[in-house]
Amino acid sequence: MTRPRRPGISRRSTLALMGAGAMSVAAPWVARAQAKTIKIGMPTILSGRVAQLGTSSRNAVMLEVDKVNAAGGLAGRQIEMVVRDSKGQPQEAARVARELVNTDGCELLLDGEASSGSFAVHEVARDLGVLCIHTCSEASSLTADPKQHIPNAFRCVRQGIHDSIVGGSYAAAISKAKGLKKWATCSPDYAYGRDTTGEFTLYLKRFAPDVEVISESWPKLFQPDYTEVVTKILQAKPQALYSCLWGGDLTSYIDQANIYAMFSQMEVFAVNMADYTALTVVKNLPKGIHSGNRYIKTFPTTPENAAWGDAYKAKYNEYPTNWSWQNATAVMFLAEAAKKANSTDGKKIAEVLKGLTIKCPFGADGTVTMRGDDHTLVGYAIGWGTTIPQEPYVPEVKAGDWKTIFELEAEWKKSKGYT
Amino acid sequence: MTELEAGRAETLAPVRGSAALHRYRDVLIALIAFAVLASLPLFTGSKALLDFVIRCSAYGLFASSLNLLVGYTGLTSFGHGMFFGLGAYSFGLIMQKLGLPIPVAFVATLVITAIIAAVIGAICVRLKEIYFAFVTLAFQMLIHSTILSWASFTGGDQGLRGGIPRPAFFGINLANHVHLYIASCALLILGLLAMRQIAQSPFGYTLRMIRDNAARASFLGIDVWRAKLTVFVLAALFASMGGMVMALFVSGAYPEFAYWTISGEAIFINMLGGVSTFLGPMVGTVLLLLLNDTVTRFTEYHGIVLGVVILFFALGLRKGLLDFVTEWFSHRRDAGEGR
Repeated sequence: MTRPRRPGISRRSTLALMGAGAMSVAAPWVARAQAKTIKIGMPTILSGRVAQLGTSSRNAVMLEVDKVNAAGGLAGRQIEMVVRDSKGQPQEAARVARELVNTDGCELLLDGEASSGSFAVHEVARDLGVLCIHTCSEASSLTADPKQHIPNAFRCVRQGIHDSIVGGSYAAAISKAKGLKKWATCSPDYAYGRDTTGEFTLYLKRFAPDVEVISESWPKLFQPDYTEVVTKILQAKPQALYSCLWGGDLTSYIDQANIYAMFSQMEVFAVNMADYTALTVVKNLPKGIHSGNRYIKTFPTTPENAAWGDAYKAKYNEYPTNWSWQNATAVMFLAEAAKKANSTDGKKIAEVLKGLTIKCPFGADGTVTMRGDDHTLVGYAIGWGTTIPQEPYVPEVKAGDWKTIFELEAEWKKSKGYT
Repeated sequence: MTELEAGRAETLAPVRGSAALHRYRDVLIALIAFAVLASLPLFTGSKALLDFVIRCSAYGLFASSLNLLVGYTGLTSFGHGMFFGLGAYSFGLIMQKLGLPIPVAFVATLVITAIIAAVIGAICVRLKEIYFAFVTLAFQMLIHSTILSWASFTGGDQGLRGGIPRPAFFGINLANHVHLYIASCALLILGLLAMRQIAQSPFGYTLRMIRDNAARASFLGIDVWRAKLTVFVLAALFASMGGMVMALFVSGAYPEFAYWTISGEAIFINMLGGVSTFLGPMVGTVLLLLLNDTVTRFTEYHGIVLGVVILFFALGLRKGLLDFVTEWFSHRRDAGEGR
């Protein structure tokens, strides 16, 4: 016999509901009181054309986080990373960043977004007041422009302007030595390509005033065929070529220009060549391409840097990228700042981060600094060298001079109306 | 009055009465929907839920406005996203450079959108089907390229930086999350109600006739070009509203808002929800955003999951979700009545 079920809510389910209600109200406090772990949120690009940006960033972060956790965590709390894909869309980056903080309870953000996405996450940081370290965006205005400045955001990334100053002075020295007066440029047609090329030629002409740019090419971003660009440059007969093509664009460009034997006819300066993502993909890497360093384990020539590159390779079976060292450095900064502040509170960490200098395998002198007045990374290893077709690819890198960088950067900031 | 006409007048009167009832019913539903949405923050402190509704407002306005073109007029635009981007950029630029009050900037953005849509529409709506689709796509790419290359004005590929200022007006402070939420809900409901009125008006029925047989409409004395242009501009206005909500949400505007992928998303939303019912795109919006938000939490291979869902809708249901549901109900009713 079955007992007829009375309509309405039974006593048992009322109790269960009340219990569940109490739990859900109390849960955040209970959880927080027991929170041994600290969640760090990371929106980044894990799908699409530049997915490598995100995965190599995540890899480096995990490598360093494991070390921090093994050493006792962030001010005694174990780190739990929450890494999520933004697909490279700024509106998704903003949503993901907000969700990471508001729903997942992340207390800090590492922003692994490029270009527009980083500005979108920057606005989220401004809105929510959460500590945010940008780890992939090289756009100088992100920290140089005082309108962007907020107390809780930092940038742990190399910058276009630094690269241009070092590249300009390096190229000028070679120009003078070899008498390279006629130059051509070939860079992707978007803000990064135009700005970086403009700044490079500005500093090249400053150090070598008799240089003349006789041909400019602006292929589209992700353009598959460079034949017309290559022939245009060959017809102009320059003595030297500058390019800030990167990634897949640079490798297809080199493969296609190789057919025309371009690299034996002129000196080529490709700022983004010395990154394993490009070096290992090109079919026949020409000898003697000048390039800025992105990440290369032979520069800086320290055992720490080589060991770090090998450890990464051992764990992920590929070499680290430029984004890898930047993300690793951000975790190193967080660990050191949390130790100094003896806290995981974002505000306290931010106070310590200002002007903080830490030991780092990627520093020009073994250390890097988070500059206090504009919250940006300085003192990292930066230099130029020439390629060879096999490992170590760029055997010798001539280091840039940070004193010159600081002087010219200050001048540049003034000219842009940033100071 | 002949006997025939007298008989017709009798049948017309109740029809008119029920039309008025329908109209009030729509307003009533809108009011209830707004009341439910606006009271949501009283019951939940979940900021993620409020964020979700704000994004639904932006995409919902955008996708529903595309349905005015695709579903009601039979104009498949591949470049509708340009007005979404235009709304976001115009609003953001006006707020950043001129610092006008928000309502003024809102109206000014609509005016700018209307002018540009009228110019683009005048060229596009002369064309049919695939030609219309591709010329709208071309204009979208033109606007996208303009945003990218006019870097001194638009910020180029880095977007409008530095945040969009949100001064308070009439006691509404859009910098406050709950205020922004309620304002977005209000815009969504008002926008949907206005689009519903357009769809149910004689003009709306003219559009359906043009969709089904433009030549016949033309023979009946309808200026097809003018009707198409009007709905093109109207749809652009609602898309622009969606763009403004998105600009307020992310506190910026980015070239991705005017890229063809955003138009593709709107078409996808319409496929998911269905184009033969008015609320189909709204259902599609909620579905797509829910799918997106849950799938991206668990995997970076969300493309595969979304692809399977598209296949399911395209090959399995062969129509949008709401179309499927309404059809299923009417079948059941017919079966119940023994027909």
